[in-house]
Amino acid sequence: MNQPLLEVTDLSKYFGGLKALDHVNFKVMPGEILGLIGPNGAGKTVCFNLISGVYKPTFGQILFEGQSTEGSAPHEIANNGVGRTFQIVKPFASLSVLENVLVAQGISKYNAFSKMWSAWKSKSEVSKGLKILERVGLADLAHRKAGLLPLGNLRRLEIARALLVGHKLLLLDESFSGLRHEEISRLEDLIRSIREDGITVLLIEHNMRVAMGLCDQLVVLDHGQKIAEGSPEEIQQSEKVIEAYLGRKETKDAA
Amino acid sequence: MSSYVITIGTVIVIYAIAACGLNVIIGYAGQVSLGHAAFVGIGAYTAALLSTKVGSSFWISLPIVLAISAIFGLLLGLPSLRVREDFLAITTIGINFIVEAIFNYVPFFGGALGIGGIPPIALFGAKLKGFAFFYLCIFFLLIVLAACWWFTRSWAGLACFALREEESAASSMGISPVRFKLLAFVVGTCMAGLSGALNAHYITFISATDFSFPFSILLLCMVVIGGMGTLWGPVLGALILGALPEIFRPIVDYRILFYTVMLLLMIRFQPGGLLGENMMVRRVLAKILPGVR
Amino acid sequence: MELFFEQLLNGIAMGSIYALLTLGLALVYGILRILHVAHASVYTVGAYMGLFLYKLTGSLLICVIGSMASCALLGVAIERFAYYPLLKYPPYVPLIGSIAVMLSIEELCRLIAGPDVLTFPAELPFPAIRLGGINISSALMAIYCITAVILVLLWYITSHTELGLAMRATSQDIAIADAMGINSHFIISITFVIGSAIAAIAGILVGIYFNQVYPTMGYVPAYKTLALIVVGGLGSVPGAVIASLLLGFAETLLIGLVEIPLPRDALAFIAMIGVLMWRSEGLLGSR
Repeated sequence: MNQPLLEVTDLSKYFGGLKALDHVNFKVMPGEILGLIGPNGAGKTVCFNLISGVYKPTFGQILFEGQSTEGSAPHEIANNGVGRTFQIVKPFASLSVLENVLVAQGISKYNAFSKMWSAWKSKSEVSKGLKILERVGLADLAHRKAGLLPLGNLRRLEIARALLVGHKLLLLDESFSGLRHEEISRLEDLIRSIREDGITVLLIEHNMRVAMGLCDQLVVLDHGQKIAEGSPEEIQQSEKVIEAYLGRKETKDAA
Repeated sequence: MSSYVITIGTVIVIYAIAACGLNVIIGYAGQVSLGHAAFVGIGAYTAALLSTKVGSSFWISLPIVLAISAIFGLLLGLPSLRVREDFLAITTIGINFIVEAIFNYVPFFGGALGIGGIPPIALFGAKLKGFAFFYLCIFFLLIVLAACWWFTRSWAGLACFALREEESAASSMGISPVRFKLLAFVVGTCMAGLSGALNAHYITFISATDFSFPFSILLLCMVVIGGMGTLWGPVLGALILGALPEIFRPIVDYRILFYTVMLLLMIRFQPGGLLGENMMVRRVLAKILPGVR
Repeated sequence: MELFFEQLLNGIAMGSIYALLTLGLALVYGILRILHVAHASVYTVGAYMGLFLYKLTGSLLICVIGSMASCALLGVAIERFAYYPLLKYPPYVPLIGSIAVMLSIEELCRLIAGPDVLTFPAELPFPAIRLGGINISSALMAIYCITAVILVLLWYITSHTELGLAMRATSQDIAIADAMGINSHFIISITFVIGSAIAAIAGILVGIYFNQVYPTMGYVPAYKTLALIVVGGLGSVPGAVIASLLLGFAETLLIGLVEIPLPRDALAFIAMIGVLMWRSEGLLGSR
């Protein structure tokens, strides 16, 4: 299949006079891990927000599986199999970790009036939830209130939730930010296993070592524009990219 | 049991039904509705008009009352929920004022004099009064509580909780914010309508000022003090705020001050209410009542 | 024709008073994103304090300054007790706190000063003038002049002083303002000082103009000003002022000239819902 899973054309988002994203083009092929990198303020999260439907583009087009996402609300895009995490984690604080995951599991139920009234705490749903928690390493915290978890665990919870929703495309926004060394390598393994399941991953990352090591392709943004695109080796040697990062601390290994 | 206690008890139960409805809106779905009294009024006037002008029995009017409450919940909820979150509170206050004004000024609703002579509810020909009516109200309260309990167990309820906590995360999981907020709103307004209908048949005389903004605040107090988002919180709140006037009869002049200060202290130091997590009251009740964890 | 102009002048006066009140609400919303319903009770206290001090000293100056000072203190006390500690909760929590504060203060006023309507027999030191056959009383002149002065002062402070800059920065983002060395909590309290002092002035003006001071005088303004900041665009002070003037206008003209079977108070909310349907961020609000 050589059709891109996600194709972004001339994508632009202006906030009044501020051009957060300006005529950005890139493609994400099915089964690949694409990294969106760039200095702070480059427009990466804005790009995610456009893809997941939180913002409406000022210009440009987003095609998911060949269909335009124009006019789709975030929940509709989620229903198409696109899951995402948030840069600032958003757990359902007063619900337990397991319940957080169950919310994501309900995605197949929320649209049908007949289905939404059935009980969520069934054995099958709970075991499915526990399985995914095991996969991200949170199974023993299943009944802890999510609001009490430290950041590392919260990031894993975000991924667990996004995984249940994003059976086609997963958008990970700085999921490695603030993690310790062991947590980082565990997460890298998790993402590779996600790719093995056939899920395409688009990730925003500041940690260069992670981005270079994990991604098949990279797209580099700076001040809302794409300045480079290619494999990790190509990007590492690109003068433009080095210039964009010159003097900024993101070039140092954040681990 | 003396008829005095029955009277207080009946009023408490009727208020508790309305408070449960408000709890679904504000406690389960996190939507601030400060105009709940308007929907109690809509239910009351519907029941009153049907029984006095059309002469239908309560049991026939009941589905109509619920349908009309749902329709108005839908009509008024939709614009309210589409505006920014901060606007919702103000819009619901506005709805309260406008609905009250309509009841007060439009002659069809009896104008300032309201509607009187509402007949009591009859079951199999027997007029329900006093003790019997009290039992009827308890019956409806139990149905409402069962509905609330089912709501919390359902996917719809889980969706509302998620929306309440983090709307953007919830919508990224396929939960349509407008749909579920509206759902909670309509469930809440139906319960309010039921409460209003029972109220109309109980007091036998209603007028617009019975459903004005202060009543919305009273219902809010019940939900907040009892515990927002809990199953029994609204009932406890109704019990406390309904029984208090009588207990504090000697200081009736200071009553409102007492409520408002209590509300302020509660919201300042324990926003979860009396049945909020970690509260002693909750732990004790968890051992006795179902549905409390 | 003269009747129309008289109504017009009344309308502008009412609008000005709404503007003074709504201003405080808009300032607080702009900086804390909280609906300061209790502001109307600060206004009531302003009227009572003014009356009390005037009866005590006979001096208008002392009554105004004293009332402004006490209301400023009250405003800060409300902010420190009921708002700042509740910022971490969802917005309906401080909103409920605000409603509780407002009702408590109203009740206290009733218990302390009595439920009856008191009179405020003061003479405002403004000239009554006669313009083209229409009498403008000294009270009306006072309202116009004082409102105009306050609006100009406020505009000057927010756009030409360091304090104003700090206020605008804090409204944008409290965390960043802190990071830039602005003591954001202090700025927040100053916002309440300014808004509450203006509310005190509004209370005194209303007390004298209508010659009435009573415990529930804040009830109607509370809800109207809420509708007004929505119409004007939450957080937009110029929007709030314009919306207030328009409402004052609409209320006196519409009620004076046209027979509508709805009370004046509902008009504010109907207008609000109408504006929201058309433009969901209010007249001058920003997305």
